[in-house]
Amino acid sequence: MTTQETTEYAPERPARLRWAQHAPEVYKAMLRLETAARQGLDPTLYELVKIRASQINHCAFCLDMHTKDALTAGESAERIVQLSAWEESKHFYTEKELAAIELTEAITVLTDGFVPDEVYDHAAKHFEEAELAQLIAAITVINAWNRFGVTTRMAPGHYTPGQHR
Amino acid sequence: MSRTQILDRAVGSAMSALSAAAKRGLGDPALAELVVIRASQLNHCAFCLDMHLTIAREHGVSEKQLDLLAAWEEAGDVFDERERAALALTEAITVLTEGFVPDEVYDRAAEHFDEGRLAHLIGLVVAINNWNRVMVSRRIPPGGYTP
Repeated sequence: MTTQETTEYAPERPARLRWAQHAPEVYKAMLRLETAARQGLDPTLYELVKIRASQINHCAFCLDMHTKDALTAGESAERIVQLSAWEESKHFYTEKELAAIELTEAITVLTDGFVPDEVYDHAAKHFEEAELAQLIAAITVINAWNRFGVTTRMAPGHYTPGQHR
Repeated sequence: MSRTQILDRAVGSAMSALSAAAKRGLGDPALAELVVIRASQLNHCAFCLDMHLTIAREHGVSEKQLDLLAAWEEAGDVFDERERAALALTEAITVLTEGFVPDEVYDRAAEHFDEGRLAHLIGLVVAINNWNRVMVSRRIPPGGYTP
């Protein structure tokens, strides 16, 4: 057999808008916000939060970036894969991580309701106050990146780990 | 359990810079308030609604527009085409968990805003979504804003 089979994937869609070039001050503020929000948070936890929010918000570019960053930082493929079903795979995560993931979901899906007391209180049990405030900020910031990514249709697949550090 | 009132100073300052840059680049303070109020309605942010309804009135946004904003699609000519395009985009960007930002919504906005203004409009929707999240999560009560 000499026939070589090549898989035909759907074409990549171009981005809608190069928002950072059109709004450089906005982009600069986002970078400042990113730097400020990650202070005092465990980097492993931070990537889990970023990945889970990006899953819920369907941000392909963000998933590409943060799964690659997480893997590069030594995160296991198993924990990344199981994250979208974390309620059924709790034994892959620490209680603290689970509290953070739960809070991530509540703050991300804000249009369906408020942040429930039990979710907030659960997080408050595992995070001391200043750290909890940073976690809320971090969840907010990935939601912001998700919104830029999805709205301007930033294309996934081209991210090299560490590129945006 | 009461909720934390902490917002790290560097975080708050970057969020303010983001809002200010977006608003400046959009260059339409009245429209900016309509956008910000609509997102705050969808995200149920009482503090943000209280604050931005006050600011909107300062900018001369009409009571009619504020009253009908939650039902802008059915509000006839209370909102012009440009405002409607901006509000549709605001809703799509805010309710991200239910789907993507549809082409027709994005394209409609792109007809009314050039790329620079559009990038800032998107930035503004993101910026108010940020405030909505930090205020609702920490359950900050309305009324804290004074002009």
